[in-house]
Amino acid sequence: MDHTSPAEKILRGALLTLVVLFFIFPIFWIFLMSFQTNETILRIPPSLAFEPTLSNYTALISGRLETQSGTLDIQFMRNLMNSVVLSASAVALALVLGVPAAYAFARFKFRLGENIAFTLLSFRFAPPLLVLLPLSLYFQEIGLADTYFGLVWVYQLIALPMILWIVRGYFEDVSPDIESAYRIAGHSWWRTFTRIAVPLAGPGIAAAGLLAFIFCWNNFVFALILASAAKQPVTVGSLAFVTASGIQYGQIAAAIVLSITPTLLLALYAQRWLVEGLSLGAVKG
Amino acid sequence: MGLSIHDLKKAFGGHTVLDGLSLEVGDGETVVVFGPSGTGKTLLLRLVAGAHEASGGRILVDGRDVTNENPEHRGVGMAFQNFALFPHMSAYDNIASGLSARTKDKAAIDARVQATARLLKIDHVLGHQPRELSNGQKQRTALARALVGEPKVLLLDDPLRNVDAKLRYEMRLELPNLLKRFGSASLYVTQDYREAMALGDRIAVLLDGRIAQLATPAEIYEAPATIAVARLFGDPTINLLDVEPHLNGAGLTVSIANTRVSLPGGYAAAAGRPAVLGLRPEDVVVDDRPQGAVAVPVEVVAVTPLNERAVVLMRTDDGRELFAAEPGEAISGRRHGPAFASFDPARALVFDRADGRRIAPTH
Amino acid sequence: MAAITLDDRPARPRLSRRALPYLLSLPALLACIGILVPFFTAAWYSLERYNLAFPTTRGFVGFANYVDFLSDPAFWNTVTVSLTYTVATVGVELVLGLAIALLLREPTRFNNFVSIMLLLPLMTAPAIASLMWKLMTNPNFGILSYLAGLVGLDDFRWASSPHTAMFTVVLVDTWVYTPFIMILLVAGLRSLPRQPFEAAALDGVPASFVFFRITLPMLTPYIITAVLFRLLDSIQQFDIIYAMTQGGPGDRLMVFQVAAYLEFFQYTNVGRSAALLMILWAITYALSNVFVSQWLKLRERARGEG
Repeated sequence: MDHTSPAEKILRGALLTLVVLFFIFPIFWIFLMSFQTNETILRIPPSLAFEPTLSNYTALISGRLETQSGTLDIQFMRNLMNSVVLSASAVALALVLGVPAAYAFARFKFRLGENIAFTLLSFRFAPPLLVLLPLSLYFQEIGLADTYFGLVWVYQLIALPMILWIVRGYFEDVSPDIESAYRIAGHSWWRTFTRIAVPLAGPGIAAAGLLAFIFCWNNFVFALILASAAKQPVTVGSLAFVTASGIQYGQIAAAIVLSITPTLLLALYAQRWLVEGLSLGAVKG
Repeated sequence: MGLSIHDLKKAFGGHTVLDGLSLEVGDGETVVVFGPSGTGKTLLLRLVAGAHEASGGRILVDGRDVTNENPEHRGVGMAFQNFALFPHMSAYDNIASGLSARTKDKAAIDARVQATARLLKIDHVLGHQPRELSNGQKQRTALARALVGEPKVLLLDDPLRNVDAKLRYEMRLELPNLLKRFGSASLYVTQDYREAMALGDRIAVLLDGRIAQLATPAEIYEAPATIAVARLFGDPTINLLDVEPHLNGAGLTVSIANTRVSLPGGYAAAAGRPAVLGLRPEDVVVDDRPQGAVAVPVEVVAVTPLNERAVVLMRTDDGRELFAAEPGEAISGRRHGPAFASFDPARALVFDRADGRRIAPTH
Repeated sequence: MAAITLDDRPARPRLSRRALPYLLSLPALLACIGILVPFFTAAWYSLERYNLAFPTTRGFVGFANYVDFLSDPAFWNTVTVSLTYTVATVGVELVLGLAIALLLREPTRFNNFVSIMLLLPLMTAPAIASLMWKLMTNPNFGILSYLAGLVGLDDFRWASSPHTAMFTVVLVDTWVYTPFIMILLVAGLRSLPRQPFEAAALDGVPASFVFFRITLPMLTPYIITAVLFRLLDSIQQFDIIYAMTQGGPGDRLMVFQVAAYLEFFQYTNVGRSAALLMILWAITYALSNVFVSQWLKLRERARGEG
């Protein structure tokens, strides 16, 4: 493949540049919009040259919005905090529950394990509403509706299968002889798990955690159904934001930027493991 | 008694791999478990170590029944073929792991680790990570880890397999001294018969899930229990010739091509049953003229050097192949063509063709 | 030197050894139960006439909900819309994703940079992606509306018009998910053995032959994996469509999960909502069975090379 003609190279480069433009443009444009006042935004024709302002961000962060009709309270920072709390807690819980289970699936061949694995995998592709709608009724009965606790448990539906499938592969990569050697040297099973297996599978566990965080953060429908305004993460919150009257477009853009920046940064950091995570380990990155 | 194994069985699913092994290894003794790959030698070690659960039988370490115990309670040390060092710990910590489960006394641990490392000549690389060590150093570290706890039973799974040839011979000389020094009952697994004969006080030959023979190296070589055992020891492999023994006056005779071979007395039991004559290549002398009691006319077909010897491939008049091993100097003079293969019948081994067992001469 | 003796800890009975894997996977088992209980509940609801606004009329009606669907034009609209959406998105994304993957085949610095850039839409929450495109297609200030006007498409109403709503959401879906297919196919392309291609180059085989007879067949397992993943996600798409139009204009974008959501929350008809979801589940179950067997095969292959 070393003998591609210069014409081919130029064509390739041009096409790829177009492709990048298509995929990056929206992010870029919204990013620009977040620094524009309503006036600038509504100006026709739109131009790349304008006077940037931080007023959108200050309004969001301070939670107060000055409009012609008075001062509005914006709860967006609360949405941001909800996203952080929910995603981090869900991932933390999923790691605590999922890493030992992934170890069990990797090391032991037992019937129940295969059944659990199959169920979790097949429900990864099932319609979420199928589980969520009855769950919303149950939650109301047992008082878990609109609680962080309830939401974190429901988020396990996203985080746990991901952790299980990715981390199992990493545990399988750790040679059983190494674990045997540690046990023969006199250490209990638990110490072997914590001192040998988990550290050696460390990168995989971290990757799975990062990916699970991204997916939890990006989730929309779980919180839509099971959370009220006070507990909503940014995905639902941004939408509600839009429909509220009197909101300035620049602020919507700023809200979007704040909503997507964490996951974009994490994705850049964890890009090496993304292929594996997205395909549940079917394709090694 | 260091290690006792009684009627040990192991099956996977419906498939029996080990079918009732019994073995005793005394303190300070090294028993080599030898056999072709896949016979279950490594499995045996893992059963003793506790990595696998036995399907039947008992294992006693220093008189204590450990059959149902977890590995960490058995008090054995094990060195793996692939070293199995902990990649995220230094060599020092790898070795110390053999002690850190039992005591928190840092000073005591340090003293023992240093002493063991010195003995194995790796004290200068203790601070290194496993990936920075050479294969030879890795194996020594693995050995140190197994030995540091001064275990009653030592399990060595083909430790020299992944070490390069030069180092392998060095360590083959060092190991017996090391093992004697620690006084553990050692089970040593290898696929190399020369290693087995060099290192073992006794050799347990493992075939088809059973111990085919448990004896000293000399006995195994001189008096193998079966054809299979005889085949495993010796390079080039022992010559095996199908023969029909006839009772003939004074004793038993067999024929190779048209040459009569009178077997020494005491083989009367072999009369009438089809047998196999075993002849070690080094007992066969090739010359233009008959040498010794029996001389079979042959055609020399090929001559190849093998280490310091020469291997001569010959064909008898009835088409059978014979190997002889000769001192290397002979190779220069050896020509292809007609010659005589001579041997002393007393050196021959006789096996029953039906069950492969050696027929021992009665005196 | 201090003596270090073997400690005399009591041996743990063999029982705990056997129980260990079950103990470890207990939480995962609980999660399973947490999924299965609502699932069977939903299955049961689908066999009931159950409306939250009319609690006294609740009762078992067998397959009546399903039978009603057969003669319900709204149901068939949902089926048509969902299928259209699925076929359009997966079709476009496959072609586009494959084309881009071929361009990015070699691991050069530029290509890797491009790959990273293309990751970003995939990592955006689909609901927020819809929001972004909503802003860009706003008739008053949206840059895309402006650009459409420039090429003569005045008053292009994007998601607000029944004619162009489907186009708009398919566009958003393409923007978000094409990188998924691209990433998978690039990984697949880069894992292909070199020899057949080198041999073909030496023999002077034309590029189209190489592509159709060598590259494509070897890439098939990855393509199937990517397509199945996307089919399964597309047919149950909720976030993008709900965030854009909540199923409108009218019922122009009323895909399965949006329809089920509205049945539940707007019309409080639990029975019908559940039945709709069970039908969707049956479709995804059939598809995912195909996928799981493919996935297991591909996983074995990846592990073998790993």
